Amino acid sequence: MPEVARAEYLEELANLEASALGGLDLVNGALTRTLEAVEHQDIELAQLVVADDDRIDGRYLEVHQALITLLATQSPVATDLRLISALLHVLKNVERMGDQCVNVCKLIPLSGHEPPADEEMVRLILAMGRQTKTLIIQAKRAFEERDVDMAQDLVRQDDVVDNLNRDCFRLALEIGDDADKREWAMTMLLAARAIERTGDNAVDIGEQVAFVVTGLFREFEDASHPEV
Amino acid sequence: MLGAATKRKTAEERQGTMSDSSAVTATSTGPVTAAGRPAKTIEARGVNLFYGDFQAVEDVSITIEPNKVTALIGSSGCGKTTFLRSLNRMHELTPGASVKGEITLDGEDIYGAGVDPVAVRRLIGMVFQQPNPFPTMSIYDNVAAGFNLNAKKISKVQKDVAVERSLRGAHLWEEVKDRLDKPGGGLSGGQQQRLCIARAIAVEPEVLLMDEPCSALDPVATLAIEDLIGELKSRYTIVIVTHNMQQAARASDVTAFFNIEETGKPGRLVEAGPTEEIFTKPTKQETEDYVSGRFG
Repeated sequence: MPEVARAEYLEELANLEASALGGLDLVNGALTRTLEAVEHQDIELAQLVVADDDRIDGRYLEVHQALITLLATQSPVATDLRLISALLHVLKNVERMGDQCVNVCKLIPLSGHEPPADEEMVRLILAMGRQTKTLIIQAKRAFEERDVDMAQDLVRQDDVVDNLNRDCFRLALEIGDDADKREWAMTMLLAARAIERTGDNAVDIGEQVAFVVTGLFREFEDASHPEV
Repeated sequence: MLGAATKRKTAEERQGTMSDSSAVTATSTGPVTAAGRPAKTIEARGVNLFYGDFQAVEDVSITIEPNKVTALIGSSGCGKTTFLRSLNRMHELTPGASVKGEITLDGEDIYGAGVDPVAVRRLIGMVFQQPNPFPTMSIYDNVAAGFNLNAKKISKVQKDVAVERSLRGAHLWEEVKDRLDKPGGGLSGGQQQRLCIARAIAVEPEVLLMDEPCSALDPVATLAIEDLIGELKSRYTIVIVTHNMQQAARASDVTAFFNIEETGKPGRLVEAGPTEEIFTKPTKQETEDYVSGRFG
């Protein structure tokens, strides 16, 4: 009997995990460029992010198909099955996070080359983005290390993003009577919302870490029953 | 057409109330599925099995629940087939073989003093790896063999009813009803195995033991047997030994994993639980390694 049976299959599964989680690095790169585009109102960079989303979608399709093939040909069970199920969720979240960057970048041209930007609001959005990047890195590490505590901590980190998002909303309400500025603020609120959702996607990945480790799925936070 | 339909009236209909399973269902307090009858529970407590001085199975305790399919899985030599054969006292047929511990069928010790092993085997039927019909005997006689061997005196009509009911129960009736007098050996492998299942259920056992019943069959015949197992559990307690883990996953409700520490050591029960849990989140690493195909 070989030292480790099914070595090729296990190597393939490990490679697919690395590829799926590598999608989070692509997202982090997209988010970095998105924030730069927001900060400098850089429409060309924003268009680049939109075009580059094909790479994230491609990663999704490629790894998703390979995981389906593994399911069909290798009959994975137990931890392997949970890992594959979790990776399919992770991929979906990666793809959604890429789309949220695209959503933000598509908003940038709407406010023109020299919008009546509010410095404080831009600062808040950039802070949200940086915190979300931290979340993405932490989600990836928690998955790689199968660390449920680190995954659970994503909720605390995401609260920071949520609070900044609420601050953005309050600032938009108090932005003043200037029609152009109000329109810009409304547009930026949509951008803030997209970044906030990206943070939620990172928390969802954390939930998958707990599923892989424990075999039980539970939402870290239940938006429909926040009191629980 | 009416005449033809009347002619095709089944033996069971002719017999009217011959089928007694509904009466059993109505009076029993045991578990019963919608279309089934209550089956019996097997309890094994501290079972140790030996071939002479060699201990093949060590200290197995498990409750085999009625109207469920329990799959015994594990690598070759882990004692699962030996354990299966102890459940209807076939283990002791091997010269030098012995049993320690207790096995009960609904509380009655099947190894108790004065218990006739033949009577135990009538209550707890067995289907083997290789389909083993009596090859020259007719299909009809293959199914009726149980009555003849048990010297059960029943009328021709009753026998007709039982043969048809058993062949229907084994999903074979439609394929063989026009050639019941042809030899059982002329059937395909899958049909032969269903014939053996029909023979086993003809004597109305409480439990069906199956020792790798599909290992000699092609995938289509295998799936047909698995479907049949799924239906039979509404009437019987079923224990199946299989090397095919996907079969255990597909066809069983409970999975019991046997293993040995090393060659020459006795097999032991590592873990038993709902099949769904054994294949998604087993509690023991040993089980995880086996069901995932990671050995060594």
